[in-house]
Amino acid sequence: MSAPVIRIAVEEWRSLARNRAGVVASLLLIALVIVSAVVSVERRAGIEAERARYQASVDAGFDSQPARHPHRMVHYGQFVFRPLSPLAFVDFGVDSFTGNTIFLEGHRQNSANFSEARQSSLLLRFGQLTPAFVLQTLAPLLLIFLAFPSVARERERGMLRLLLAQGVSGSQLLVGKLLGHGGIALTIGTPAFLLLAWLAASAAAPAGVVALLIVGYATWLLLWATLAVLVSALVPRSRDALVALVGIWMVGVILLPRVLPEVAATRAVLPSRIETEIALHRDLKTIGDAHNPDDPYFAGFKARALARYGVSRVEDMPVQYAGLVGMEGERLTTGLYARSAKAMETREAEQNGFVRAFAPISPVIAVRQLSMALTGTGLAAHQDFLNQSEAFRYRFVQALNRMQAEKIPSIDAGEDPRVSADNWKTIPRFRYRPFVPPAALIWPNLLVLFVWLASLLLLSVPIGRRLGRATR
Amino acid sequence: MMKNDAGMHPPIDVRQVRHSYGDHAVLRSLDLTVAPGEIYALLGGNGAGKSTTLSALLGFIVPSSGSVRVDGIDPAADPARARARLAYVPESVALYDHLSARENLDYFLALARAERSGKTVVEPALDAVGLPHHAWGQRVGGFSKGMRQKVAIALALARHVPVLLLDEPTSGLDPRATLEFNRLIETARDRKVAILMVTHDLLSAVDVADRIGFLADGQIEEELAAGNGAARFDLNALHARYTGASATA
Repeated sequence: MSAPVIRIAVEEWRSLARNRAGVVASLLLIALVIVSAVVSVERRAGIEAERARYQASVDAGFDSQPARHPHRMVHYGQFVFRPLSPLAFVDFGVDSFTGNTIFLEGHRQNSANFSEARQSSLLLRFGQLTPAFVLQTLAPLLLIFLAFPSVARERERGMLRLLLAQGVSGSQLLVGKLLGHGGIALTIGTPAFLLLAWLAASAAAPAGVVALLIVGYATWLLLWATLAVLVSALVPRSRDALVALVGIWMVGVILLPRVLPEVAATRAVLPSRIETEIALHRDLKTIGDAHNPDDPYFAGFKARALARYGVSRVEDMPVQYAGLVGMEGERLTTGLYARSAKAMETREAEQNGFVRAFAPISPVIAVRQLSMALTGTGLAAHQDFLNQSEAFRYRFVQALNRMQAEKIPSIDAGEDPRVSADNWKTIPRFRYRPFVPPAALIWPNLLVLFVWLASLLLLSVPIGRRLGRATR
Repeated sequence: MMKNDAGMHPPIDVRQVRHSYGDHAVLRSLDLTVAPGEIYALLGGNGAGKSTTLSALLGFIVPSSGSVRVDGIDPAADPARARARLAYVPESVALYDHLSARENLDYFLALARAERSGKTVVEPALDAVGLPHHAWGQRVGGFSKGMRQKVAIALALARHVPVLLLDEPTSGLDPRATLEFNRLIETARDRKVAILMVTHDLLSAVDVADRIGFLADGQIEEELAAGNGAARFDLNALHARYTGASATA
């Protein structure tokens, strides 16, 4: 790096330092990053503590149930709460809009409930004050305001000829400007980066994930600083640069990320909850009725159960037949629910895939997907929670059904057969395995950001040459 | 690395240069040389090709044909080396308003990779152009055009280059400031700098120029050298010639 290039970069900093409006705007944004980080850390801790408290409360409630018939406990059910990732303070992602609590019970798969968006005012939908919102949406706007005049104003004031007449080449001038505004961009992200680094250093978050998050956001900010300087070098007047850059920001950062999901929703339509319920009800009717002695499926099941235990009457079985029927019924209904959930997941993946396909055009989609994947707050993490809770629901219900089959006598059980309350403590509890973002959600998005930045930097070569010549 | 054949060329050497913007020929066979310690005033009407001549010397345009040399270096082939040997004062002296006179000089000298010690280079240059001491540390945003011109000339003096290009340097200056400016460029001439002054200001040209060239229709139509007597040029004849030349440009 030549001395004039570094001096040009330093001069951009001095120019910013002596521009009161620029300093105030930069300090405000840095303050906003800090405030949003602190507020989000507090908010995340609050939500996490609340969910842990509720989880402990419902677990204690389950354990303290009196002696009962196990099937009543199947319907008493369990609530499970999704714990938040340690990095969720950076980006709440879809967590505020998807439910984070599921009521697990026998015979049915409930959806997640109690999303914050349902419980809060509609203002939540306009964007929460998180470091992700500030860095993804507001920081590019500030970088535009700081860099739009960087080259265009030199040209407007006739400064460009004087600068070039000192022996500085157009490329050196452009690289110096890029270096200066790149440094400003990284400074804006520094408070958030330091907080992330501290989390990694204190082992509160995986260092690799934190490093990728910092690299992703740093690339995103550098991309905007580079774009702003290059547009400023391309247009004749600074006001043209401002109009062009704000237009790019409005379309790329505001419009596309909001329009694309709407288009995706019309291309791969998700069935409504009522439609899903009706379809499931119809399918449930086809799998057989355990209470109907003439039902062909359960007649066959009964014959196989009798054969397995080498008896001719269910009363002679060493286990309670009703418990076995309960287990088989749960297996069948769970299969149906799993197919329905899979179909829904496939549709959602189609929608996501459609939106992701536009990431090369609008890198904000790439940075959003990357941010949500790494902070564990995206749709994939939510789907992972649903899968984990459904797998647990099946184990939980089947454990109670097995308890019924094995602990309730098959004959002379009395009018109100029960098992001891001690048994509830042996029922498994939900243990959430933290979401590990798959490589497919990280590297393609990082690649999009890298390719954008690299392309802009490559573009700076001919623009720099042009800058040195097109000065009459 | 291009060989500097300065020994074979005057510091400013333009030969048989032609240049067109599209179909419009601006320079047609332009010949112009300026020797060390000489002030050459290039006069001409609007569109005569004065700015294009400067752009060719600065390496901002590549002439269609002919040869341009700045201290022996072709600015079109190696603009950085050519620009390292010249100082340029534009018509509208654009300086950084948020910087002081001293800081402006320091910045531009840093870009030129020139010596820029405050005590031995910057301050003597500001002193030489007569900028009041109290103004050295003030931001140039509040400077008059004359004061800005002085800062620009100080930069040219501090660079210690063999070629000085001035683009309409007295435009917008009052008569007193013009006189002060003329004395300043004489200081540069005394340092054996070759000075090309593109101007509309006939009085100023008569006051300081060693030679005056009339540029019309893309070539030097007439060139006059200063006499040795008290009246260096015949102002009335020049005025008549200039207004005629302007009318034909």
